[in-house]
Amino acid sequence: MKKDSSLKEKTKYWLSLEQWGKDKEFQSLVTRQDREFLTPLPSEKEAEGLWERREFLQLMAASLALASFGCMRRPTEKIVPYVKRPDDIMLGEANFYSSSYFDGEEGFGTLVRTREGRPIKIEGNKNHPMNQGGLSARAHSHILNLYDPERLKDPQQNLFNKEKSNRESIRAAYSTADADIVEHLKKGKAAFLTGEWPSPSSEHLLRDFCNKNSCAHFVWNPVNHSTLAETQKLCYGTALVPRLALDRARLILSIDCDFLGTWLSPTEFNRLYSQKRKANRDMNRLVVFESLLSLTGTNADWRVRIMPSQQLNLVLSLVHSLMEKGFVKAQWPNHLDKPSLHSYKDFHIKKEVWDQLINDLWETRGQSLILAGESNAKEAKKLQIAVAWLNHLLGNDGWTVDYTHPYRTWTWANRKLETLVENLEQGKIKTLIIHRTNPLYSYPNKKRLEAAIKKADLVVYTGDREDETGRLAHYILPDHHDLEKWSDWEFQKGTLSVQQPTIRPLYRTRAFEDALIKWASLIGTDSQLGSWYEYLKKNTIAGAGLGFSWNSFLKTGVYIKNPDQRERRSPARVFKSSALSSITHVKRTRSKHSDGEYELVLYLTGGLKDGSLANVSWLQEFPDPVTKICWDNYLCVSPATARKKGWQEGQIVELKKGGNSVAPEEGVSSKSDISSAKNEKQKKTTNIIKAPIHIQPGQADGVLALALGYGRERAGKVANQVGVNGYPMAEVLDEGQSISFVSSVPIDITSTSKKIPLANTQGHHSMEGRQIVVETTLKKYLKNPGGAIHRHKVFSLWSSHQYPKHKWGMVIDLNSCTGCSACVSACQSENNVPTVGKDLMLQGREMHWIRIDRYYKGTPEEPETVHQPVVCMHCDNAPCETVCPVAATVHSDEGTNDMIYNRCVGTRYCANNCPYKVRRFNWFNYVKKVEKPLNMAMNPDVTVRSRGVMEKCTFCIHRVREAQAKAKLENRTLKDGDIQTACQQSCPTGAIVFGDLKDKSSEVYRLFNREDSYSLLEELNTQPAVRYQVKVRNKKESDTSHEKDHHG
Amino acid sequence: MNHKLSSRNKKAIAALFFFFVLFSLALFVFLLSTNKIRLAYNNDYQPDQPIPFSHAIHVGQYQMDCRYCHTAVEEGRHAGVPSLDICMNCHLTVKPDSPYIQKLVEAYGNNQPIVWEKVHLLPDFVKFNHSLHIKALSGRFSQTSHLPPSGDQVRKTCTTCHGKVENMKIMYQHESLSMGWCVQCHRKEESKAPIDCSTCHY
Repeated sequence: MKKDSSLKEKTKYWLSLEQWGKDKEFQSLVTRQDREFLTPLPSEKEAEGLWERREFLQLMAASLALASFGCMRRPTEKIVPYVKRPDDIMLGEANFYSSSYFDGEEGFGTLVRTREGRPIKIEGNKNHPMNQGGLSARAHSHILNLYDPERLKDPQQNLFNKEKSNRESIRAAYSTADADIVEHLKKGKAAFLTGEWPSPSSEHLLRDFCNKNSCAHFVWNPVNHSTLAETQKLCYGTALVPRLALDRARLILSIDCDFLGTWLSPTEFNRLYSQKRKANRDMNRLVVFESLLSLTGTNADWRVRIMPSQQLNLVLSLVHSLMEKGFVKAQWPNHLDKPSLHSYKDFHIKKEVWDQLINDLWETRGQSLILAGESNAKEAKKLQIAVAWLNHLLGNDGWTVDYTHPYRTWTWANRKLETLVENLEQGKIKTLIIHRTNPLYSYPNKKRLEAAIKKADLVVYTGDREDETGRLAHYILPDHHDLEKWSDWEFQKGTLSVQQPTIRPLYRTRAFEDALIKWASLIGTDSQLGSWYEYLKKNTIAGAGLGFSWNSFLKTGVYIKNPDQRERRSPARVFKSSALSSITHVKRTRSKHSDGEYELVLYLTGGLKDGSLANVSWLQEFPDPVTKICWDNYLCVSPATARKKGWQEGQIVELKKGGNSVAPEEGVSSKSDISSAKNEKQKKTTNIIKAPIHIQPGQADGVLALALGYGRERAGKVANQVGVNGYPMAEVLDEGQSISFVSSVPIDITSTSKKIPLANTQGHHSMEGRQIVVETTLKKYLKNPGGAIHRHKVFSLWSSHQYPKHKWGMVIDLNSCTGCSACVSACQSENNVPTVGKDLMLQGREMHWIRIDRYYKGTPEEPETVHQPVVCMHCDNAPCETVCPVAATVHSDEGTNDMIYNRCVGTRYCANNCPYKVRRFNWFNYVKKVEKPLNMAMNPDVTVRSRGVMEKCTFCIHRVREAQAKAKLENRTLKDGDIQTACQQSCPTGAIVFGDLKDKSSEVYRLFNREDSYSLLEELNTQPAVRYQVKVRNKKESDTSHEKDHHG
Repeated sequence: MNHKLSSRNKKAIAALFFFFVLFSLALFVFLLSTNKIRLAYNNDYQPDQPIPFSHAIHVGQYQMDCRYCHTAVEEGRHAGVPSLDICMNCHLTVKPDSPYIQKLVEAYGNNQPIVWEKVHLLPDFVKFNHSLHIKALSGRFSQTSHLPPSGDQVRKTCTTCHGKVENMKIMYQHESLSMGWCVQCHRKEESKAPIDCSTCHY
């Protein structure tokens, strides 16, 4: 019995399915393990959940015996034709619908591939100016979110008792729910609490509804950019989040701003950044000052570690030095102390390096871009003002800071959740409707919020499951999934994009906007609105103006109001120096942290981000682009900190924020004095969290970093209890309308003796002196592009292959690749790659066909990082092919290394003989554990592999075959660019090029034979069909002197 | 009397059993190789269908073009079993008294599909594209390759693999659809067809 329950605890959704806990026979199989000789290997027991190896073999033998009789009868299938075939559906052929993706912070245009009326993959929309075909890892997983088996299928009513502690939900009818809601709405005292989503029509409808029915409206987005918008208002008069034109910047200076990984609009930024990242004289330079090693930091040409509390001082020091050098003619504000001329010492850098940076800034003036993150919300306002000032002084405004195409944000919105909580507590709000936000997961002071919400008479939630917030709702009226719903988006001003439904709603859900329209008509305030679709269409056409065609809008997915204007320079705005008065105090920076003075940084990961898509197994198993760990979050510490505290990888520590006595920070202005005293009450109630340690090279000493988005309690079988929830460690700020993800209050840390293993997909960080990643500096590259490559003289015993028609090849540009890992998700979605769970990941049994190797170079304190995507190399002299005893992996006439699943008997010789370690073995029958309707996300063009079969990257051979078939039916030959592999297609930076190496006019041929291309492990003479282009860093000579200075 | 077998007897029985197994295995392999027993091949498979649709009448007697019903055969990977509205194009007026047609009309009226038994079934790890084969094969039967193939040419093409459909009262599988059968055609010089594994398996 005990064993049973322990097994049950370990069971995750990818492990067990319908049998688990229901089928008595299976239960008895599990509990029969007492017989010692049957005790399975622990790993296998955990992995299978139900089956022991021996039992499995016994059953296999029996079923084999049965099968030899059984297979005399053919398997049968049914054919169910349409009754009336829709015009646009042809069986077996994909249809594409232009749509949009929005994940709470970033959005862009997509194309949704559907087969027989069900979406199976999301691709980037080339017409959309923001992503131009690129995609993020999260966007791919939207598909899995649609088919999540745990989505609510019906509207729910919660039968609360008086204490609202019981949680029995029953199915409700929309009519009864609507009647109840409308009755409450009529009473007044109603409020909406929503996330922020830049849909003009939704916004219009919602604001209209609130005005006409006198409802209050609050916005809760844990990660938002309202501070940035607000400071722009202070500096320039208008609240907006400007478009950051990274493609125009020659020098990018990022201060704790992970714009390539998670900040604001990373997919767009990746694309823009890579435009000027080509190795030529125009190549941009990226300088990063940051506390933890972010994805942006890994791409930096020069990276300096700072504490979050040093951010503001850094910017002011830069400004001051620019003035001191006489470059910038401006008045230093009187109320501010001038930073010391030696402040560069605070950042552990040498004088000449600092001077070089100042010179560079001035040299690239007008073509540089200073970016700063907002995680340290306490100082974010001051920091953003200082950054705006610096950008203004350098003349970047209007060019790299493009204020004419700002991101659409709800500058009118009331973001003070605090006010809502107070209103609820005082009974001023009795009806609360929550949409597109999950505050009980992401609000730091959860207990208070929960108590306040319980005081409301009626709480309506529109989430897709009974999650942390849904638990407290009287009614859950599930909204459609975005892939089932009409919507319009304006991510950037002047660029409209459409969201088309790509499948009929799977369940009895209802669009939130339809609900609003219904309620309005029931109350009687608005009865002429029509359906949401009609409203949306009318509103979009009215908003777009002349020259707009609805049908072409649907076709292209995008409508750009003034396409020419995007390329134009706008005049610099007038900087209001009065804004500088907000920078009241510059904290003295600590050059070295003393013991116990830790700064906790809560950061976002490219996979889970704010945690809203946590129940998607692809994202949980998505190796973090920097740490390469999946299925957990962890407390990142620097090697020095770990050494000092004696922490080991995976050791659990307890974190307690804000001890009992929190003295106000020295010298904080009087206004924030009061606020921090106010906060003190809340601080006492903060939780203790336990998290494992991860020792992260490149992190600033004294900084602790914890990823948000984990530790969901009620998200579903995949996400529940994975990692810890970091939100309680954030601070609610009174003056800022947001929460601070940096805590500078003392943090009590208690080490425990407990340790958990972290599923790291790359434990080995070194290249062992081999030529795996070739790196050079721009200066050297311009002299001799291939100079850094060590060429080997190789000879072959084999006669070479003959390729009569095509030879498929690929070139991966290490210089463009930022390591964002969108390709990993793309491949998973395209090729039906299963997820295996943490236990199997720990055993190195991941199934990803494409991986991004990350190597550190230099010291653990100041490493340089490179990312290298590795796919199957499709070698001409493939080591795998020669060792397969059954010829299940063979070379094709088109240069690909084919893997024939039905022939494979699973000897795994090929995987052992592969020097690139790209082959993946199906240890278990993963697909049988895919719960319905998740199977609908499968790509029917790719065989679903079974147990005991080897698999690997196929070069998307099904796409090749599809393009070949299309060309043949159209009586033409293949053109370069007809075939795009899934990874290439979603790469926002265009780092991957695929094509025919026999076609001498093709792009891939040109790149493949360029002198800066090399093949991986060339000395083995495997003759790969994949080559890499040298990684180039735009280094100054001074950059290295910094390292020497710091580390002797 | 002691019923225990002596160890010698035991050995003899074991040896006998072993040879029996060996012999039956050899026989099995022999029969397999001479096609006396066919595992997994399904030639002549002719399941009962919910409506005994006769190709003999439609194709043989009325000379209908294959593409009238199997609309996607020239464009898609699947030929496509016709949707009911294609049947209803004619059967609104043709033979409305037949009980089968009445069944059809009723299904159409109720928006219920007819669930057919699949006859030609390939394993999931085999990808077959009808349109490419139609294109490649119909070229062989046509003298004017720039024109779309006529109904006659198409039928000749289809019957290459599907057999004399015009004589089939109830559809059955004509060829084995085994890999060997596929490849013997792909290997022919004149078919110019690829024989890479990944032509069909991916």
